[in-house]
Amino acid sequence: MREIIAAVFIIAGMLVFVVALLGIYRLKYVMNRIHAAALGDTMGLGLVTIGLMILGKDVFHIAKYILIILFFWMSSPIASHMIGKVEMLTNKDYDERVHGK
Amino acid sequence: MNEKKTFWQHLQAWVNGEEAMLHADEYIKKRELPRERNWIRKPDFQRIKANKGLYWFLCVLVSVVFITIMLTVVANLPTFGQPINPANNEVVERYLEKGIEETGAINFVAGMILDYRAFDTFGESNVLFLAVISVLILLKRDKKNIDAREDRETEEDERFDKSDHKSILKIGAKYLSPVIILYGIYVVLNGHLSPGGGFSGGSIIGAGLILYAAANGHEKMHRFFTFKTFTLISVGCLLTYCGCKSYSFFTGANHVGYEIPKGIPGNILSAGFILPLNICVGLIVACTMYGFYALFTKGDM
Amino acid sequence: MSMELSTIIQMVLVVFLIASAIGVSITRNLFLAVIVFMGYSSIMAIIWVFLESPDLAITEAAVGAGVDSVLFFLTLKKVHALKGTREG
Repeated sequence: MREIIAAVFIIAGMLVFVVALLGIYRLKYVMNRIHAAALGDTMGLGLVTIGLMILGKDVFHIAKYILIILFFWMSSPIASHMIGKVEMLTNKDYDERVHGK
Repeated sequence: MNEKKTFWQHLQAWVNGEEAMLHADEYIKKRELPRERNWIRKPDFQRIKANKGLYWFLCVLVSVVFITIMLTVVANLPTFGQPINPANNEVVERYLEKGIEETGAINFVAGMILDYRAFDTFGESNVLFLAVISVLILLKRDKKNIDAREDRETEEDERFDKSDHKSILKIGAKYLSPVIILYGIYVVLNGHLSPGGGFSGGSIIGAGLILYAAANGHEKMHRFFTFKTFTLISVGCLLTYCGCKSYSFFTGANHVGYEIPKGIPGNILSAGFILPLNICVGLIVACTMYGFYALFTKGDM
Repeated sequence: MSMELSTIIQMVLVVFLIASAIGVSITRNLFLAVIVFMGYSSIMAIIWVFLESPDLAITEAAVGAGVDSVLFFLTLKKVHALKGTREG
């Protein structure tokens, strides 16, 4: 029973990753792509790690997974934010591209 | 009288200080280049490059020849994992049977690279040190050796850095970089018990330092990490390493008579010299990583 | 024709590894080449784990994907090869 629940979580996380990858290929502009990539990083990784936590053997396993989730949820939004900021600062046609004419 | 001297006589007089070579630039401009001799025909690379078809043909030819040589060598190598391979000789048996007893390290990779083959690792640390010294020679900002354009660019960069507040990155670095550095220290100190060791832990510490420096700027970094710190740590660690292993080598590689206590395998204070050597390597690698970053961005540490 | 799952995963990883190695060398855009190289390092780290050498995996992930690409980007910035930074 435990394995089935864990497998459901892991597969759901993988599906989120697939959607994120499709989004990165399908969307054309940096800002849209950031949205897709951040989705995979936060939700997909969270679901996969929850699945692995259910499979974990003792408390220390689960504590390590919680640390991994914390690390990713702190670092990946900052990285996305920095990419967006650099795009805003360096693209000359930023206003036209984002707000339309 | 003066004009009849040959070039060599002029040069001799100039070296001796009897004659100053005035207007050297004009002399070089007027000088006739020696005509190329026809019997040594140098291959003209410019002409080959201009001829696209020949260029591509030669490229492909050279690549195919190299790939063929490499693949022939690979085909003649012994099969991976076969018991009769030359790699599976008595050295491996000795390492596997007596390794933990002789080195006291549970993670036997650390026992191998820092005990049996410590000389290799010493060379690797020296290579890192030499690399950072070469980068220092090439990229360190020298006030006499800089032109106006570079000066203006650095000034622009500094102004840009100061006008940019980076508040989100600062908060993130404030919470993340201590954790990253702590994890690196854990990997270094547990090098003889779990996977990891000096190189991996040192690069993790270096990454943490880079994150801190990228968020808070070099001025804040200068409070605890200056060029002097870098020199002291690197040279001190290399000398410590050298001293520790020299002791082993000069006492006959087995610490004759003055055995280092091995401790119980599995404790944190065990395995003789491996723990201090791991710390040395880790500090060198961390300093090198941060040194590269600082030299590449600002040209100073 | 019965293969273990880990063998199949390793083969897929090696194919990706070779693909990204070729991709690095044929890319004209230097920025893209560095990013593909980061991917190469990450795949290499996973392969080291499969080959049972986690030491190397940690080092490869920290150096190859982290510090190396930072140094490459700084070099590209220094020689003005990045689009949008400064004249070029």
